Amino acid sequence: MAEMMSSSEFRVALEQAFSGTMAKDASFSRAWATGRLHKQHFVHWATNHYHYIGPFGDYLGLMYANTPDHARDAKDFLLQNMYEEELSDDRHTDLLIRFAEACGGTRAYVQDRNNAMPFAKGMQGWMYYVSGRENFVVSSAALIVGLESQVPSIYRTQYPTLINKYGFSEWEAEFFDLHITSDEIHGERGYQIVLKYADTPELQQRCLHYVREAADMRFAYTKALYETYVQPDLGPWIEELEREPALVG
Amino acid sequence: MPRIYFKTADQYVEFAEGEEVNVLRMAIREDIDVPWQCASGNCGTDRLMVEEGAENLDPPRRRERARLGELVDEGYRLACQTYTRGDATFSWDPDQVGLDDEDGAGGGARTGWAGTG
Repeated sequence: MAEMMSSSEFRVALEQAFSGTMAKDASFSRAWATGRLHKQHFVHWATNHYHYIGPFGDYLGLMYANTPDHARDAKDFLLQNMYEEELSDDRHTDLLIRFAEACGGTRAYVQDRNNAMPFAKGMQGWMYYVSGRENFVVSSAALIVGLESQVPSIYRTQYPTLINKYGFSEWEAEFFDLHITSDEIHGERGYQIVLKYADTPELQQRCLHYVREAADMRFAYTKALYETYVQPDLGPWIEELEREPALVG
Repeated sequence: MPRIYFKTADQYVEFAEGEEVNVLRMAIREDIDVPWQCASGNCGTDRLMVEEGAENLDPPRRRERARLGELVDEGYRLACQTYTRGDATFSWDPDQVGLDDEDGAGGGARTGWAGTG
């Protein structure tokens, strides 16, 4: 039977739980970061990403409802996160669609669920399940620590490439710039909630389980993006490809 | 080991050599009382005066430049938007609020602030 970890031990365990399968290391992310994708690939990415993170306010709302009143700081964090996704500035999904349009896509195409991969729909269903059915600490671990806190590490590599290699303007790529920083803070707040409220060995272990599962889900989804949309153009992804000159088009 | 010195709170945070860390995230992680609100570069509540180590910070991107305007040239950065890869020292007005919440929005950041050293 697992023993209760200290806060610092638990934090290290959470960080290690997803470090082996981070989405930044998946084939689609690597092809992106090395300047190999075409604009049409980005339209497909944006379309799938829309159906993955578009309902993020819904996920947070379900988590909010599952959070007890005594965890007021956790409730407030979820509410603030929801507000920032939807209302505080440009709606985040609108920034995503702005990027898709800069790549030649349309709002209607992106929003049409029929254009998303089964993997994206599976990701969405998993997030609805976890946020609606799990203890709020566990769903915070899964969605905030396991998924949202990964975002800066992904976009910090991809954003400069969008500007410097693919030639997008900062305005067109604002979706990424915004999330590099806002998700740093959301991720950190998520850690604080999980460290504070996972107050039994069982809850700690369940959080770790769902962080691993979240990382696996996102990694598999990102890998599937490559296999579905990029592989027909560039062939299977091999690391040696990264050492060859990029072919941006 | 590089460190961020939060001068107004007289607290510092160390991080591993070779890492690049977000300034506000490190403050939140260590419970350092840097004022902040939106963490998206909109409100400007977390504007900090860079006292040392500007050369270790990443350059401001569009959102931060748009929010701070000429304050960037005067040495201010938004903690939420700033990453550092080395030593840096920051100060701030403990009572500061968002730039749009102050009298003379946008230019009010320095009003009554004597803590820039």
